Amino acid sequence: MRNKIDQTLEYVLSLLLGLMVLNVLWQVASRYLLNDPSAFTDELSRYLLIWVGLLGAAYASGKGMHVAIELLERALSEKQKRFQKLTIQVIITVFSILVLTVGGTRLVLISFELGQTSSAMQLPLGYVYLSLPLSGLLIAYYSLSDFIHLLKKN
Amino acid sequence: MENIEVIVLVLGFITLLAIGVPVAYSVGLASLVTILINIDTMPAFTTIAQRMATGLDSFSLLAIPFFILAGQIMNQGGIAHRLIAFAKALVGSFPGGLAYVNIIGAMLFGAISGSAMAAVSAIGGTLGPRMEKEGYEKSYSAAVNIASSTTGLVIPPSNILIVYSLASGGVSIAALFLAGYVPGLLMGLALMFVAYIYAKIKNYPRGEKSSFGQVFTTFVQAFPSLMMLVVVIGGIVVGIFTATEASGIAVLYTFILSLIYRELTVEKIRQIAISSVGTTAVVALLIACSMSMSWVMAYADIPQAVTAGLLSISNNPWVILLLINLLLLAVGIFMDMTPAVLIFTPIFLPVVTAIGIDPVHFGIIMVMNLCIGLCTPPVGSVLFVGIGVAGISLDKVIKPLIPLFIAMIVVLILVTYVPKLSLWLPGMFE
Repeated sequence: MRNKIDQTLEYVLSLLLGLMVLNVLWQVASRYLLNDPSAFTDELSRYLLIWVGLLGAAYASGKGMHVAIELLERALSEKQKRFQKLTIQVIITVFSILVLTVGGTRLVLISFELGQTSSAMQLPLGYVYLSLPLSGLLIAYYSLSDFIHLLKKN
Repeated sequence: MENIEVIVLVLGFITLLAIGVPVAYSVGLASLVTILINIDTMPAFTTIAQRMATGLDSFSLLAIPFFILAGQIMNQGGIAHRLIAFAKALVGSFPGGLAYVNIIGAMLFGAISGSAMAAVSAIGGTLGPRMEKEGYEKSYSAAVNIASSTTGLVIPPSNILIVYSLASGGVSIAALFLAGYVPGLLMGLALMFVAYIYAKIKNYPRGEKSSFGQVFTTFVQAFPSLMMLVVVIGGIVVGIFTATEASGIAVLYTFILSLIYRELTVEKIRQIAISSVGTTAVVALLIACSMSMSWVMAYADIPQAVTAGLLSISNNPWVILLLINLLLLAVGIFMDMTPAVLIFTPIFLPVVTAIGIDPVHFGIIMVMNLCIGLCTPPVGSVLFVGIGVAGISLDKVIKPLIPLFIAMIVVLILVTYVPKLSLWLPGMFE
């Protein structure tokens, strides 16, 4: 399950990254080669960055890539270390559920309700904010799976 | 009222960091707890979430994944070792010459890729084993590699200067890039001076002398990579394209070059994409969370309080700059560069502009200052990648790093108190 999610995320994120590059190159090309500056590229790239950033943050969270200070870890015994790691996963889960998932879902609903759309593409902003709860759920999934893994270890 | 918020923010943040919660989540949670003092629970969750998303909603920020991607392509696509070969032909024959090669290589590579992390692993991975073979102490070559890889953050194009531009509310990226040249070169020269003294003391070997022909050949081979700098920076300065567009061009340029060098396979491209996304996401989450913290602080009027506090101590620019530099050095020791720039720029910029310091100049001071923090424990990301690449332990690398730190601090003082060093070049283009 976890491997499947990792692979899917890798695939989707690489694709979005490629799309980001092509989009910006298109912005330059449309201005200089076609003399007809594209109206949507600026907006599209910003929204792609939000998606790549937040979805990627979940991927990086699963891979343990986010930087932390590891001073305490070195001073702890094995048993204490386990407790510390469990605590960290709980804290990450709380943040991802409360802010990203709950706060994010509310934001999505509010934007749809108010009918907010982007200025150039007329894209409902709810679709941009949808990256928040999705990322939150994925981060929570990774953290809980790490948590259970740690519990089972002993 | 303000006091409670400051205490909650700072204490919450430090506690979370100390427990070992990743920096980005610590920043986000501390902001949440602080805003809960003033806002109801549900709206607080939504506000932080919204601030995180809008924090990433910037076209200039797009340059960051692109320069990361370009750096990865350079690393895998045969561009890095061509730059090193050129640097070696130039300065390899001096006593202790490989240290100079490392510094110049890092300046070129860091400049092109805009990232110190890419430079420290690419250059260290290539040069480290060779330096060991020629009798350099591992700890010394690792220290040189770590310190010199930060020069690329000041020499343009530089991701962190783009982050500063965002945090400062739109200081010109072109001006910041131009302002970085002289200070970045000075930093490189200062590190080379330390390497020179080391070579004298330790009697490090001379490399073989390169003939003019060799210098010429390696230059021709490195030329297309060097040209990328001209295209990217030239294009931004002349105004053909924005920094973000230039970074997109850099991706295209390095990609085509690597295809010509025939060093890219489909599998390599897949790895490049995944590792670029990972690095980007780590920075992106830091940016998203830091932007929400910066908003929370503005909401609690913290920047105004700091400005008033600092100006009540003194309104002498020298004293204020000294205080800010000391504070930033302390911040840099415990905080990664991106959140530090995003969180402290809105706090310090009003103070320094009030005493007449140019925001471009201040950006260079801030970035140079935080470069030092990248090489110090406990959170120096460049330090840890550097010792990882070299395969040595932390305690061994500290001693040879100290003289390099002193050199960096001397340059920082110079750049702080001689504004011309930063402002002369952008002034030429106005």
